[in-house]
Formats: sequence, C-alpha cells, structure tokens
Amino acid sequence: MYGNLIDALPSVLSMGNLLAVIVGVVAGICVGALPGLSATMAISVLIPFTFGMDPLVALGMMAGIYNGAMYGGSIPAVLLRIPGTPAAVATSFDGYPMAQQGRGGYALQVAVVSSALGGIVSALVLMLLAPPLAKVTLLFGPTEIFWVAVFGMSAIVFLLGGDVIKGLISAAFGVFVSLVGADTITGAERYTFGHLELLDGINIVVLLVGLYALPPAIGLLEEIRDFDTENTGRLNTTSIWKAIPGMLKYWKTWVRSSIIGVFVGILPGAGGSMAAFLSYNEARRASKNPDDWGKGEPEGVAASETSNNADTAAALIPALTLGIPGTAVAAVMLGGLLIHGLQPGPMLFRDNPEIVFGFMWQFLFAAILLIFLGGALATNSFAQVLRLPRPLLGAIIISLVFIGVYSINGRMFDVYLMLGFGLIGYFMDKLKFPLPPVVLGLILGGFAEQNLRLALRIGGGNWDILASSPTAKVLIGMILLVILSPLFSRLMRARKAKRVAE
Amino acid sequence: MGFKSIAIAAALVLSSGMSTAALADYPEKRIDLIVGFAAGGGTDVMARTTAPFLEKYLGNDVSVVVKNMPGASGQIGVTAVAEAKPDGYKIGTYNLPGTMARTLDRNADYNADSFTYLANVVNDPNVIVTPKNSDIDTMDKLVEAAKKRPGAVTVAMSSLGGDDHFFLQKLTDVTKADYTVVPFSGSAPARSALMGGHVTMGIINISEVVAFRDELNVLGIASEKRSSMAEDIPTFKEQGFDLVNGALRGFVAPANLPENVRAKLLDAFQKTYDDPDFQQAMRRSGNPTELALGDDFKTLNAEQLELAKRIWETTPWK
Repeated sequence: MYGNLIDALPSVLSMGNLLAVIVGVVAGICVGALPGLSATMAISVLIPFTFGMDPLVALGMMAGIYNGAMYGGSIPAVLLRIPGTPAAVATSFDGYPMAQQGRGGYALQVAVVSSALGGIVSALVLMLLAPPLAKVTLLFGPTEIFWVAVFGMSAIVFLLGGDVIKGLISAAFGVFVSLVGADTITGAERYTFGHLELLDGINIVVLLVGLYALPPAIGLLEEIRDFDTENTGRLNTTSIWKAIPGMLKYWKTWVRSSIIGVFVGILPGAGGSMAAFLSYNEARRASKNPDDWGKGEPEGVAASETSNNADTAAALIPALTLGIPGTAVAAVMLGGLLIHGLQPGPMLFRDNPEIVFGFMWQFLFAAILLIFLGGALATNSFAQVLRLPRPLLGAIIISLVFIGVYSINGRMFDVYLMLGFGLIGYFMDKLKFPLPPVVLGLILGGFAEQNLRLALRIGGGNWDILASSPTAKVLIGMILLVILSPLFSRLMRARKAKRVAE
Repeated sequence: MGFKSIAIAAALVLSSGMSTAALADYPEKRIDLIVGFAAGGGTDVMARTTAPFLEKYLGNDVSVVVKNMPGASGQIGVTAVAEAKPDGYKIGTYNLPGTMARTLDRNADYNADSFTYLANVVNDPNVIVTPKNSDIDTMDKLVEAAKKRPGAVTVAMSSLGGDDHFFLQKLTDVTKADYTVVPFSGSAPARSALMGGHVTMGIINISEVVAFRDELNVLGIASEKRSSMAEDIPTFKEQGFDLVNGALRGFVAPANLPENVRAKLLDAFQKTYDDPDFQQAMRRSGNPTELALGDDFKTLNAEQLELAKRIWETTPWK
C-alpha cells in the first residue's frame, strides 16, 4: 500500500494537477473568508463542472478549497468577529479580542500556521493510517455516537460563560432549531408548517449567517463609532517567517488539537465545529492562565484553527473506506468522487490507487501551500477590506450573505429564514445571550436525538444498551470526568482556602 | 374589414403552421433535466450520464442541461416537473417507490396522473446482508433466528417508506416472522453499523454491496434473475422465497405531453439504452440497468403505488 503512495506522486506533481490545488486553496480562502459562502457550497457548485474533467484535477481543487476555507473562515472571525465558516466560531473567542488590541496580524499568522499544521497532520494520517482508523469508526454504532454527542454537549457547559441561565436558554434554542424538519426515523414533519423547504431541517449556514454576520453588519451601519477602527485597522504584521519561532511554544496545543481534530474527523457526522469547540476547551483546561482566555490568548486561536483543519482529511477516512462522510464538506466531496465513477469502499483503494493516493497527496500539498498563500493573502488583501468606510463594509457583507444564503439551494425561502435569525441574533446580542451554545445545540441536538432513538430500537427499548459496549463505558467515563472535574477542583480550592483561613 | 379578416386568417394559418412545424422540429431549444437531489448522488449521476446520449439521439444540436433542485428527499424537484409546461423542454428524474410513497405519507402537490412516463432505466434490486463474522449466513438460519425470539433480529436500512422498507414488509409476510426496523439516514451508515456488528442484518441494494463483498455475507438478491454485477449471489426465488423488490430510477415529463414530442423522447431513450457506451458508463457508475419504456413504465409505476398503498394501509410507518 505504501508503494502505491509513491507511485501516485508523479501524476500529482504534474503541472495541471498542482495548479488545481493552488487555485483550490486560493478559492477556498476567499470562500471561507466571505461570510455566507462556505466550502460545502463552493464544492457543490464545482462538482457539476468536473463531470468531464480529469478526476485528479477536480479532486485537487476540492482538497484545496476544503483546506483553504477552513483557514479562510478565521479571517473575518478575527477581524470582525464574524466567523466565515461554522468551524471558525471558536477562533473568534480570542482572535477578535487580539484584533481589538492591535494584534490582529499576529492572530492571523497564528491561525495560518496552526491551520497548516493541523492540515498536514490530518493528511499524513489519511495517507498512512486510513484502513486501521476505519476499523475504529466501525466501533462507533448509534449508542457510541450518542455518547460522543453528549460529550460535545458537555463542552457547552464551558461556553456558557458568565450567565448560566442565558447560556442554557441559548443552547436550548439551538436544540429546538435542530428539531425542525422531517423526523429522521419516521419522516413525520416537525415545525414545518407545510413548507417543503423546511423538511430537510435548517441549514447550519443559514443560522450561522443570521446570528453571527447580520447583527455586526447592521452594527457597522448604525453605530459607526462602536467599532474600534483605530486598532482593528492596523494589523501590525511582521514577516510570517519571523513570527513562527515565537509560536513554537504552542506545540502542546498543536499536538493535542491535532489529535482531537483527527478523532472527531473519523466519527461520522460531527464535523469541524465540534472539533474546534472541544479542542479550545481542552486547551483552556490545560492552560496555566485559563482566566486570560477569551480576552486575546493566541493559544485559543491556535487550538481552534489546528483542530478544524486536522478534521479535514481525517473526515475523508470514513468517507473513502465506508461511504460515510465525517463532515458536511466530506459528504459533498463524496459526490465529487461518485460523479467520476469512484465508489467508496475497500475496492476503491485496489481499483483506483493512483487517484485515491493522489488525492491524499493533494491534501498534504494543500495544507503546506496554506502557509505560503494564506499568510500573504490574508494580511495583504483581506485586511485592506478593513480600511473601507464602515457603512460600505456593512453593505458589502449584507449583500454577500444574501447571495451566499440564496445559492445554498437557490431559493428565497432560506434568505427570509436567515433574516428571521438575523432579528433573533440582533436581540440576543443586545440582551447579552451567548451565541456559541446555539451553534453547538443545532449541530449536536439532532445528532444526539437520532442516535439515541436508533440505539434504543436496537436494544428493543431497553436502556441498558446505552452502557453495554466497552467503547460506550469509556465515553461515559470521559463525560463524567469533564463535568465533575471543575466541581472537584472548586471543592479542593474551597477546602484549601478554608485551611488557610484557619 | 375584408383585408383585416384575411390578414387575421393568414396570421392564424401562419402561426398554426409555425407551431406544428415547431413541434415537428422538437427539440429546438435547450431541455432542462431536473434532478431532485444534490449533484453527486446516484440519481444525479444517472442523469448526467444519460444527458449526452439524449443530446446525441434527439439531434438538432440540442443541449440537455442537468439542474439540481435538492430538498425534501426529491419531492421539490419532482413537484417542479409535475407543474411544468408539457412542451418537452422540462423533464426530470423519477424515483420509485419514493415518489409514489410520498403521495401517501405527505401532502404532495402531484399524483400518479401528473406525469408522462418516459423511461425507467435503473433497477437496483434489494439484498439481505449480514456481517462476515455472523453465524447467520443463510436464509434458513435467518428465518430460524427471527422466529426463535420475535423482534430479536435488528434490521439496518435507509429511511422508512423506501424500497428497503417495502422489501422488509414483504420479507415479514413471506417468512411469517417479526423483525425490528432500525432506519438510518441512508444506506452507507446502515451498512457501516452492520459491519461494526451493531445490528443483526441489513437491507441495502446490490449496487451498494459490490464494493464490500469481503466484509459482508450476501444472503440473496430480490430479482427475477441473478445480477450481472454479482453472478454468484442466488436469488431469493431460487431459495424458495417469493421476494422481488428494488429501487427504480428513471425519467418523466409533465402529463399531457404532445404525442410527437413523447414519441421522439421515447425513441431517444430506447436508442440511448441500446448504446453500448451508455451501458458501460452506467456499469462504471454502479447503476444496474433495466429498461421500462413509456406505457411499461406507467404500469410499473401503478404496481409500485399499489404496493405502497397496501403497506401504508396495513402498517403505516408514521
């Protein structure tokens, strides 16, 4: 199998195929950076055009777009607190405060280096460990996936921030949104009010754009001086090669977040946002100064960006070997493979090694190219956008999100829905309800529900099934650890304080 | 006055002459082929594989453009076709039994009379699979296990109200045993849950199993004859179980299509199907072909609707 890897290299290095990856990365960064446009959308627009193309050119472009967009999403997240992709929400926690302090350029450099490293690790894992990791995926049946979703939800506890009640309301709202649409088991319609457009549920991009992009864009129009233009306009960048040595101290976060990203990637359905949230949490828990997080800690940006890129190639492991995509983007990419007659499964590796292994190399090259293209593109081009007059910038963002949301399914319904979420987001912002729990609630709510119901069906209605497998037991242990450890440490601290007082 | 009426008459004659000429010349502009799913799915690949052959056999340098209208498991796209002008410039893909089952379990703005049935080109029979390391590797062992404890056999499949589900109903009737349905969203997750040993058996389609022969036992195939995609898999009929079922994919136009347009389209579909290049392209994309043209397709649709109705009335799934 490793021989096949080497055999696939020459065709990947051919001019056309290499160019495809470069074009893909640049396009991906742009798509990711523009709020409302996503990698899923860019790739689904691309797929029909690839029908007559050479498969490696098409796949190279997709690999580039995927990696590029995962980083590109961090650019507006850092500069404007508008995550360009769902996976960049966690990047904005510390990235935006850094930009406000005039360290936006450094935040973007940390983001690009971390993204590239995450992507490289992920590509290497895909190249070297795909078959054994596919066996790990198989260990996760409905029961185990349910527990993974609960584990992800337990991360919400940390995202609640100051006001626990408001945080829980936000999370509950996210779960409610996940209920809309046809019930995944019986197909019964829930909260669709007879609209066919709602049957497939609410697309995460519609919600994300409505909640995250519209209110700040309106803010740009109405309260011009509220935006700290003095500092965010200045990026204060040094050369990326000079900045890298200073980042080496994040190596622990890089390693931890890469592992989390790869792990979330091989599980079907969770995706980059869960990877980013989890690794942000774990990094903060491991940090010596957790109180600085959320106030401009570069390590937060590193954690989130490493893992959302480490999720990319890893998500293709279950997609290529089992036909079950790890993320929404991997699902569209699977379509890109099918259109070329490449059916997922063990036979794919035997019948079309030059394409499959070529595709893996392209992931690696796309990740490496990020450092060269990403840093320059972000700091030289996108940052200039901030020099635009504020009302103009707001108007541009609003038109972009309209186009982006309309083009998901080519219908106005989604645009109206987004406007509705925009209104909700506007008031949530004013009333200081946190937004991240909504996103996590939407992603994990439906996921947890469907798998719990499947598990109970398999168990014949008997709840014992939920703790029957060793994998499930390990997961339950991890959840208890995550929930109880802060309580425990608080208890210890209280006892210590008491002893000191005595 | 006289001049005016002559002019009108002339105009009428001219325009009617022109319109018959236009119909005779069908196609004279672009044809939209609506696909109710996103690009890259099985139905989409079928449409994109077929389009160039249709262009070739319809002649007139026509272009057939695939348009994806995803949503509501194909319902949005198929409704658009049903409501389109019946001029032959908007046709669409069609899935059975799904499209007909939706007229029962949902409010649909179309019914079996809303379409002109052109050609069903794909027939993907159901198969029963178990994990490679399972003790249950024959139909007899499966029936024995299902009868021993009702509901103990868990069945992974894709959603309710589809071909997998209807097959399970037939299996229940034929074997007189009870099974527990576990509907995943799609065949691939169902197949993976099976490979991981989380369920007892799975119902998927032959096209979804050919790449996984080393990982799964295939107990039988629900077709009249053995499949050319896997000659070694015995049919259920050979094993004494009267089970024939599968997923069907084809093409329809709105109802009341002008007869000459219909004839031209049917001819193009017949020629497409007979083209060895088309057959090869379909095989490469894993689509088992079987043609039902025009009225045959209409009869096939009526049968599928009848089956869906019978199951919906006896054991509604929601």
